[in-house]
Amino acid sequence: MTDLGRILLATGLLAMLGHVHAETDADDIVSKANLAAYYAGADGRSEVRMTIQDAQGRQQRRQFTVLRRDVEESRDQDFLVVFSQPSDVRGTVFLVKKHVGTDDDRWLYLPGLDLVKRISAGDKRTSFVGAHYFYEDVSGRSPDEDEHTLLETSDEWYVLEHTPKNSSGVEFASYVTWIDRKTFLPMKIEYRNAAGRLYRRVEVLEVTDIDGHPTVTKSRVSDLDSDGVTNMEFRYIAYDIGMPETVFSERSLRRPPRDWLKRPAGDQ
Amino acid sequence: MRLTACLLCSLLAAAGSYAQNDDWGDDEWSDDVAEEGLQWSGFFEAAAGSRWDEDAQTGRRQTLGDFRLRTETQWSGERVDASFKGEAWYDSYLQEFDAELRDLTLAFSPRANWDVKAGRQVLTWGTGDLLFLNDLFPKDWVSFFAGREDEYLKAPSNTVRSTWYSNVVNIDFAWTPVFTADEYLNGERFSFFSPLAGQRVAPNPPLAGIEPEDDFKNGEFALRLFRTVNGTEWALYAYNGFFHQPSALTESFEPTFAPLTSAGVSMRGTLGKGLFNAETTYYASRDDRRGDDPRIPNDQVRVLLGYEQEAVTNLTVAFQYYLEWLQDYDELIDNSLTPTLEPDEFRHVFTNRLTYRLQQDKLTLSLFTFYSPSDSDYYIRPAISYRYSDQWSFTGGASVFGGSNAATFFNQFADNSNIYFRVRYNY
Repeated sequence: MTDLGRILLATGLLAMLGHVHAETDADDIVSKANLAAYYAGADGRSEVRMTIQDAQGRQQRRQFTVLRRDVEESRDQDFLVVFSQPSDVRGTVFLVKKHVGTDDDRWLYLPGLDLVKRISAGDKRTSFVGAHYFYEDVSGRSPDEDEHTLLETSDEWYVLEHTPKNSSGVEFASYVTWIDRKTFLPMKIEYRNAAGRLYRRVEVLEVTDIDGHPTVTKSRVSDLDSDGVTNMEFRYIAYDIGMPETVFSERSLRRPPRDWLKRPAGDQ
Repeated sequence: MRLTACLLCSLLAAAGSYAQNDDWGDDEWSDDVAEEGLQWSGFFEAAAGSRWDEDAQTGRRQTLGDFRLRTETQWSGERVDASFKGEAWYDSYLQEFDAELRDLTLAFSPRANWDVKAGRQVLTWGTGDLLFLNDLFPKDWVSFFAGREDEYLKAPSNTVRSTWYSNVVNIDFAWTPVFTADEYLNGERFSFFSPLAGQRVAPNPPLAGIEPEDDFKNGEFALRLFRTVNGTEWALYAYNGFFHQPSALTESFEPTFAPLTSAGVSMRGTLGKGLFNAETTYYASRDDRRGDDPRIPNDQVRVLLGYEQEAVTNLTVAFQYYLEWLQDYDELIDNSLTPTLEPDEFRHVFTNRLTYRLQQDKLTLSLFTFYSPSDSDYYIRPAISYRYSDQWSFTGGASVFGGSNAATFFNQFADNSNIYFRVRYNY
């Protein structure tokens, strides 16, 4: 083999390696972003409030506390959501056992009826308690459900495009995320429909360092079709508080776990 | 429960003193846990309902006319949580003021894995949707048929509930020292079929079942053992008390509540894209185990199968099959005073619930249909509700009964078919 031949072969291999590497990169970035956005600490708690605004400017509000515990890093998680505002949903509790790869188990407790209602897994891309957020925005979409392509790497962002492996059950044809290269937090997500029209945007407006975890503390989702907007704020956040598995059970639906719902000492 | 002027005054005072800062500004995060005084909330509601025509038995067209004030609060102590939920209302149908305590409880944990909730409370368990097998806690059928909010289908009782949790099984035990009957149809608002009269009736004075004596030995005991295994919920149930409807007769032919003991089992889990549930129970009518006493209800087996799935985005479809199987049927017919009017041995019921949510869940359309092929009758409940804001919500709906035989379960209420409308302001 001539030197030229060797060089050609080497560059060819390199190019191939480079190609493989780029694909791994995209999956890698998404996997890191998934961890950064949904798996900070082994568990966590946050108070959340949302302002839901329609095109006419009418506002509705929700305030709740979310407790989360990772069953396994980057895999299954438990969530307990306890509503405190507005008054007609106070005491409503939502329990989710998120399963990666299969459908989640979901329960809703309605205090007026003392009813533990099981909710069918169904469509995760429907409104979360009347907000423009979807259930899936709150608990996370599994990276395995999409194909990921790295579109661009700038100083600040990894820009990726994601297309669903199975387009049934999702309203988007693709979405693009802008992932912060330092924190790996997705800072902007834009969804396009089959016609290629941009119709939905999720933006992070504020990130705060909590116990060493860069954490989204303000975000917004805009429904560009209806002109509706939901703003979400997070406060009183704490990680690695040592919640046992038993917190995420029917017991907590009927009697929310006050010790774990208590605001952590200190600021935020 | 009759009006107590005292309760009404305290309700009004509580509503008046409500002064929570509703500002969503940066530093106004309300805190339910670290209490700074009591936080009061509730609602005002106006509700009206009417039949299409005047009912020949009650002589009334109206079915509902409520002006209601609800107020509620919670208090958290170091060891004990307390909650209160009370209501006062003017009922323009009965032309009287009423008040009711829906919740006044203390909750505490004597041990780390043991919860106790004692006081006046609403209790629910079981897997049925508007069908009840092992849930023998009191129901308010009058409110349900009249189109009050779904919550009123469950009536409160004075109960001590103890729940013990463990890795093997969880044990729920509810003791209601004084028997609490359903709010059954008594002719005051809705007419019903009387086998003895052989026709639809609306007795005046209203039918009043003779309740068991207020004695601890006549208390109600309800037990549930439950556990969730890999997302599937299993439960065993037992109950000792009385039928909650005055379906028995005393020796002097006055309506009363027959002693009841029951045992059952249920499961609920995922199946395909949806949810599946199955439940069964055996009602042992303690005073008529042989089934030959015409005054006392016979034993009964009840079976329920259900499936629910989100069919398309925001549209949930649910089906149930339900069976009531009267035991000792030959004895029942041989001894019945009105053998031609007795229900069938097997009563089959199918239900369907459609729920469609629109406009960010602000608008909800729902349709619940009961249909019995064995009775050839039906009960349809369409409803539309609109949550205009966090304060205002509007609901309209109907209860439509029909069938071919005046004596069957749903069709006996045919003259009570009604439409209703409710406006609620949450504070």
